[in-house]
Amino acid sequence: MNLNTSILQYIEDVKSGTFTTEEFVTETLQRIKDVDEKVHAYLSLNDSAINDAKLIDKKIASGEKVGQCYGFPISIKDNICITGTKTTCASKILENFVAPYTATVVNRLQDEDAVITGKTNLDEFAMGLTTEFSAFGATKNPWNLDYVPGGSSGGSAASVAANECLASLGSDTGGSVRNPASFCSVVGLKPTYGLISRYGLISYANSIEQIGPMTKTVKDSAFLLNVIAGQDANDDTTIDNKNSNYLENIENGIEGKKIGIIKEMTTSDGLSSEVSNSTKEAIHDFESLGASCDEVSLPTIPYTVAAYYTITSTEAGSNLARYDNIRYGYEMESEGYEYNSYISKSRTKFGPEVTRRIILGGFVPSAGHAGKYFLKALKVKSKLISEINSSFKKFDYLIAPTAPVQPFKSGEKIDDPVTLMLLDYNTVTANLTGKPAISIPYRVSNGLPIGMQIMANTLEEKSLFQAAYALETKTKLPEVPL
Amino acid sequence: MTKIGLEIHCQLTKLESKLFCSCKANYREFEPNHNICPVCMGLPGSLPRLNQKAVESATSIAMALNCTTPEKIAFFRKNYFYPDLPKNFQITQLNVYGDMSVGGEGYVDVEGKKIKIRRIQLEEDPGRLIYEGASERTKITLVDYNRAGTPLVEIVTDPDFENPRQVRVFLNILSDLLENLGVAEPGLEGAMRADGNVSIEGGNKVEIKNIGSFHDLEKALHFELTRQQSLSERDIEIAMETRHWDDRRKITISSRSKEEDQDYRYFLENDIPWVKINQETRNVLKEKMPESIGSKRERYVEKYDIAPQVADILSSDKYYSKLFENAHDESNAKDIANLITTDLLGFIDTKEKQQNSKITSQHLSDLVDAMNSKAITRNSAKVALQEIIKSGKNTKDVLQEMDLGQVSDSSEIDMIISQIFEEEKQAVIDAKERPETVNFLVGKVMQKTKGKADPVKTLELIKSKLDQ
Amino acid sequence: MVDEEEIIRVAKLMKIDLEDHSEHVGRVKKMLEYFDILDQIDLSSEEITSQEKSLAELRKDEFIPHDKKLIESLKNFREHYVRAPKMN
Repeated sequence: MNLNTSILQYIEDVKSGTFTTEEFVTETLQRIKDVDEKVHAYLSLNDSAINDAKLIDKKIASGEKVGQCYGFPISIKDNICITGTKTTCASKILENFVAPYTATVVNRLQDEDAVITGKTNLDEFAMGLTTEFSAFGATKNPWNLDYVPGGSSGGSAASVAANECLASLGSDTGGSVRNPASFCSVVGLKPTYGLISRYGLISYANSIEQIGPMTKTVKDSAFLLNVIAGQDANDDTTIDNKNSNYLENIENGIEGKKIGIIKEMTTSDGLSSEVSNSTKEAIHDFESLGASCDEVSLPTIPYTVAAYYTITSTEAGSNLARYDNIRYGYEMESEGYEYNSYISKSRTKFGPEVTRRIILGGFVPSAGHAGKYFLKALKVKSKLISEINSSFKKFDYLIAPTAPVQPFKSGEKIDDPVTLMLLDYNTVTANLTGKPAISIPYRVSNGLPIGMQIMANTLEEKSLFQAAYALETKTKLPEVPL
Repeated sequence: MTKIGLEIHCQLTKLESKLFCSCKANYREFEPNHNICPVCMGLPGSLPRLNQKAVESATSIAMALNCTTPEKIAFFRKNYFYPDLPKNFQITQLNVYGDMSVGGEGYVDVEGKKIKIRRIQLEEDPGRLIYEGASERTKITLVDYNRAGTPLVEIVTDPDFENPRQVRVFLNILSDLLENLGVAEPGLEGAMRADGNVSIEGGNKVEIKNIGSFHDLEKALHFELTRQQSLSERDIEIAMETRHWDDRRKITISSRSKEEDQDYRYFLENDIPWVKINQETRNVLKEKMPESIGSKRERYVEKYDIAPQVADILSSDKYYSKLFENAHDESNAKDIANLITTDLLGFIDTKEKQQNSKITSQHLSDLVDAMNSKAITRNSAKVALQEIIKSGKNTKDVLQEMDLGQVSDSSEIDMIISQIFEEEKQAVIDAKERPETVNFLVGKVMQKTKGKADPVKTLELIKSKLDQ
Repeated sequence: MVDEEEIIRVAKLMKIDLEDHSEHVGRVKKMLEYFDILDQIDLSSEEITSQEKSLAELRKDEFIPHDKKLIESLKNFREHYVRAPKMN
């Protein structure tokens, strides 16, 4: 049984009787046992995964209706709530928090008979780019264990890349699905804002974040989107996607389509030569697929990282205010404390990066400073939206490399805050504008992955998948060495 | 020039659910923390879902207070830490990016003076705190989140009030108005609260918070005015500050705490999209609004020729106006109105009594018919009313069972008059000398007949007997 | 130039105890200095916008009781109250 398979292939194999759900899930759990001590993609495992698989096999055998997932194993980022499971956001302040309800996306998966393997590691509260800010230890890149897997959905990306599951759900606020997807050579989608319900996703920056599927192939991503996307009564920010079938016409190709190469993201100093070369090759590939490629400039882009961090730290400061250890959290007796000192003491459990973002988040929208920082950031967002809407009048897609560099060694960038922030340079635009963006594995150079990013206009995921699929046909990638 | 302004909070208890979730809006019947869900508890990953009817109710309130209503409304976060706030921020409204709260500027007419409304906003109530323990060591704070998320409408006035009495009149008008609209129950404990601000003779404005009821508000305003006046008399400057009302000692105390100057870091609540309320929607809401008290009153006076003071009472309380509307027809409106305001009001004068009373409009119109056809006297009607309120029995049965039929037979009345003349010899002498005191004797006859004697006939017969 | 005193004051407001975390002040300062880049872009004509919904799309006003046992899975004290440290 080959664990390095796709969801669609897996479903075919189970349907045809090549193996059972239980067999595949058991093999997957064995794989986790074998490699996760090194990779550390998982924070907790689902004890009833095998039982869940057995039940699905029973359904199949008896001819009962089976959900479209047929029991394929999927991991879930640990900032997404599942009833009865520890949902920690990789933070000490939630280390004992057991979610009393389940996120909509997980309900939808379970209703369609997916099997949850466990919860994956992340940068604490999704704030970070390398998963090194997890309070429970960093995740390693399966392509080279000395290197970072990207972040904040590093655990999700690594679990898929290391064949510890067939897919994962991550969350993307400024690139947190696409960046680790690029670093671990998997497909990562950030959908249109509002396409996927955030009910049950523990908020970091609620105005721009989305849950995103992480898979081995583009078709798998479309399949998974079919299961989880769509309006949710529990989330007022979700929009009607008219029950789109994202797999439909995915092989149509991109003949005659117009592709814009984002100048500011492909020619900046921060780009490594490897990434730059790969980008040129990708452009050739797109042209050979029948699309025309032209440079496009979005002059607001150089200001987007500052705007992004200003907005997200403001929202994080507010979204994380509820963690005062009074209603839930961890054990700490309140006797003898006064209210303010109790809260401050309990919040020392936040890690260093989260602590800094909260302070920033108190500063930039505060009465004396909002005009200089926060309000300006909001206007940058508006300006960017106008610019990108204009470019989508001329182009069907906008492309750039997902990350300006390849994965780097653990500990290498963690000390310089500005360098770290700039890793998001190519990805925050999609979050600030709400547009869908996908990263697909494009190259592995010197053993380290490089991903290409494609953006499309609002709610154009179907078209986006067509472009991604087309490019995927042009890529030939090695297997992960782990 | 004394200036008083108000900030009133009114719970929309007539709604079924809270502002952002489906827990019950009126939390009063629940055990502690049994009216909660992940949303109103602000659990990680939960999201607010705006209540459609809350927006409609708040917009109706704005219209009833003559306020402008915007095309779009938005919500904001007011960030601060407090144990009664599950998220440590409150979702409220602000007019930062233009006018986006449910109501803009408006006014209320108070005895001919226009009190200006600054704005109306929709927001969530926090939970409730209970302080326990007497000493520093034993002190704990217990929190009940049943109330967290209850829909609140905040009404902010300009400092247009000149004295506490005007404030009282305004609050009564406002309570009646809100009740008439069917969106709130001002009589419920804690359902309406008000904070105030006071300044005298162009001096600094002092805010007063933590006022538990309207009763306390008046006390607090009086105290504060006195305090400011006494400072001013001694040429001491009145500090611009926030004070809180200490209910135990009945005084206002300075809340100055330099420890943390609050910065609420207001920004848009992005989990709630802006809500478009177009002109058409607003027109529909306006049409659905129940008739205003003012217009009812006008109608009663003009159409039914009811005395203005009577019309005032009838129109201002929904309970009476409803009884009136359903009871009267073209001919007996005045009589019904009088029966309600003269007699019924005496028996049913509290909200609780209103709730427990079993009287219906049918009863009222039956009684008026009986009086007009001389089957019973006014007095008997009053007696019957009391029984009907208690038992709700059919009017005919009550009149029969209690033997309230009018006594109009002359010989019967005569017999009783003779008895009274025997018993009240002095009064008879008085009446012969001073005819205006004859009513005492009439009264005695009414007493003896338990109010059933025809008063007109009785007077006639007594007069003629006196002349004999 | 960002005032370090100001950063410390803000941390207090956000209930962040800086005693063990004073190393953060320098890093926060660096990030804030990077944000100065926002001063260089012309934003005079920009409006703030948001997602919009119509009144008809909002949640219907219905009481739907949630699981009575929710409070039992959270921190609770005696008769199901939540207990907060004493207030000043």
